[in-house]
Amino acid sequence: MKRRIAVYLGMTILLLALVPGHVLAQEPPLVTTTELVEHSASWDGKTVSFRGEVLEDVLARSDGTWLNLSDGNNSAMGVFVPRTVSMPVISWTEDYRTIGDTVVVTGVFHRACADHQGETDIHATSVVVVAQGSTKDNPIHPGRVVWLIVLGLALVVVMWFYYRKPGEDPSVRGDSQEPRIRR
Amino acid sequence: MVRRVWREDFRIIGYYTGLITIGVGLLMLVPMVTSLVFREWQSAIDFGLSIVLTLLVGYLLALISRTRNTPGLTHAMVIAAASWLVAMVLSAVPYVLSGHALSLLDACFDTMSGYTTTGLFLLQDLDHVSQGLNMWRHLLTYVGGQGIVVLALTFLIGSTGGAYKLMVGEGKDEKLVPNVRHIAVQIWRISLIYLFIGTAVLGILAIASGMKPQLAFFHGAYIFMSAWSTGGFAPYSQNMLYYHSLPMEIVSMVFMILGSFNFALHYAVWTGNRKEILRNVEIVSFTITVLTTFSLTCLALMQRGVYPNAVALFRRGFFQLISAHTTTGQSNIYARTLVREWGPLGMLALTIAMAIGASAASTGGGFKGMRMGIIFKGIVTDVRKLLSPERAIVVGHYHHIRDNTLTDGAVKSAAVIVVLYVLIYVVGAVVGMAYGYPMADAFFESVSAGSNTGLSCGITQATMPTLLKVMYIVEMWMGRLEFLSVFTLFGFIAASFRSLKRQKVAA
Repeated sequence: MKRRIAVYLGMTILLLALVPGHVLAQEPPLVTTTELVEHSASWDGKTVSFRGEVLEDVLARSDGTWLNLSDGNNSAMGVFVPRTVSMPVISWTEDYRTIGDTVVVTGVFHRACADHQGETDIHATSVVVVAQGSTKDNPIHPGRVVWLIVLGLALVVVMWFYYRKPGEDPSVRGDSQEPRIRR
Repeated sequence: MVRRVWREDFRIIGYYTGLITIGVGLLMLVPMVTSLVFREWQSAIDFGLSIVLTLLVGYLLALISRTRNTPGLTHAMVIAAASWLVAMVLSAVPYVLSGHALSLLDACFDTMSGYTTTGLFLLQDLDHVSQGLNMWRHLLTYVGGQGIVVLALTFLIGSTGGAYKLMVGEGKDEKLVPNVRHIAVQIWRISLIYLFIGTAVLGILAIASGMKPQLAFFHGAYIFMSAWSTGGFAPYSQNMLYYHSLPMEIVSMVFMILGSFNFALHYAVWTGNRKEILRNVEIVSFTITVLTTFSLTCLALMQRGVYPNAVALFRRGFFQLISAHTTTGQSNIYARTLVREWGPLGMLALTIAMAIGASAASTGGGFKGMRMGIIFKGIVTDVRKLLSPERAIVVGHYHHIRDNTLTDGAVKSAAVIVVLYVLIYVVGAVVGMAYGYPMADAFFESVSAGSNTGLSCGITQATMPTLLKVMYIVEMWMGRLEFLSVFTLFGFIAASFRSLKRQKVAA
């Protein structure tokens, strides 16, 4: 009997060891901007995790720093990092030519933040850079350069015809056979 | 009886539309230079290609239809309506080449939204577009606000016999000074002085809010152009939420209000007639309707307990209300917050504000304060007539630059335009509802498009039905040109077909 209990106990410990740590620690759920805005009342005041790319400007203020994190197509959330929370070094921010650092923020979501006059935001309790940004490839399309040259030449020809002396241009029809229209 | 259409009519329309198209092509030099400054090489090539294409179309049109005849009122109306369509398509080329528009229709939606100073957008991944494209988006609203025709008049067309009619066709029917080119120059002078002041103030505030100095003044210019032109675009998808800055919101609000005022009022104040601000019928109308709709907004927000305190309620509620009433469309809340938090009454308050809109001959849209004032005074005069002895002569007045007598014709024409606006609002809403959107949402979005506001409750997305996109484009176009030019264009097309038929019969 004692041996059987010991086996069960051993198996239970083994199973617990296999369960991911964050499940046991009850890590805050990873949420998106859409989820937070669509169900803002149910997330209000709760601790959440948010993952996103750091947009262009890291806005440092006297009481903390604002980050704008993009988590998809035309979807971004403002995150306020108070001075008391350690802020990691953000090496890359989003730009036409760069991809910003990806960070995971844990913090309290506010549907209408009292500290920031009703703003929908997250007050961070921790900020971790999970992926470094990089430069973005914006290759030049040779086909478009060719079109630019071809259309440019056509434009020069048309402009030459247009700016010829009016007397030389048969298309000026001030003496049209139809009645002059002045209404 | 509709008159016959001659070949010369087409030449006049083609020639002036060509000149306006050339103006649009030259305008693209600004975003191209912006791209070069920021070393966005592919974007610069895209703009180069768009410039060449637009100029080619413009010069071809002007060349094949060159004429010495000047436009009459019919031509002017057709030119205004047609040139906005041509400009919409050609201005969409950089959007398509950028890869941020899913289709040409989506790109046209955005350019029409820009030119009409609406502010709705279907652009994908806005947070990653080039500075060149962002400059182009905001420049479209800035130029659209003053009028494409006004731009062409200033730099290309000059004071031809039909120049004033061209401006009327675009809805700028205030005769500030006798010479039409000078009117156009005055409009641009006022706008450019404000551009300089606005960019400087908003740029400094952007730096104070923590932005990089090299970008802050670009953002200052973008936000100014968006506010002054009552456009509503912003460089990032969060719109004004991106800056987390109360001072920037306040300054932006001031420019929204200034931009929504009649150019004639600006000119009167600039030339020393400061008392006009207190007496003008549009200012009186604007003040009354802002107070009424803001009271309704406060009631809605307090009822639902949306904001934790009065300061929060005022910052969010008043900004949204002013943005709606001036038909700007900048936002310091998320689009879906309107539906999920503000509720039907809050949305109704904003919908009413959007429907009424800004002043006549301004950069804004909607019924216009002038028409609201005239209709209200017309009702008051009629009631006074009923209460007066039968022999008494009751005459109403309204003040706009000078004291004007209220005629039945003025009341009637104001009422007709208001009815037409209501009609496009309703038709747009019905199409939205037919696709299954809730009534409040469908009306909100339709009024936003028709009044050229640009606030969204979430309907406007690239995934929305094609017919709804087309409907909103038509609403934006008609709303901005105030119907008559568009109707004249339709009438001209019908008359052209009739003339063609007659010719065939005669042959």
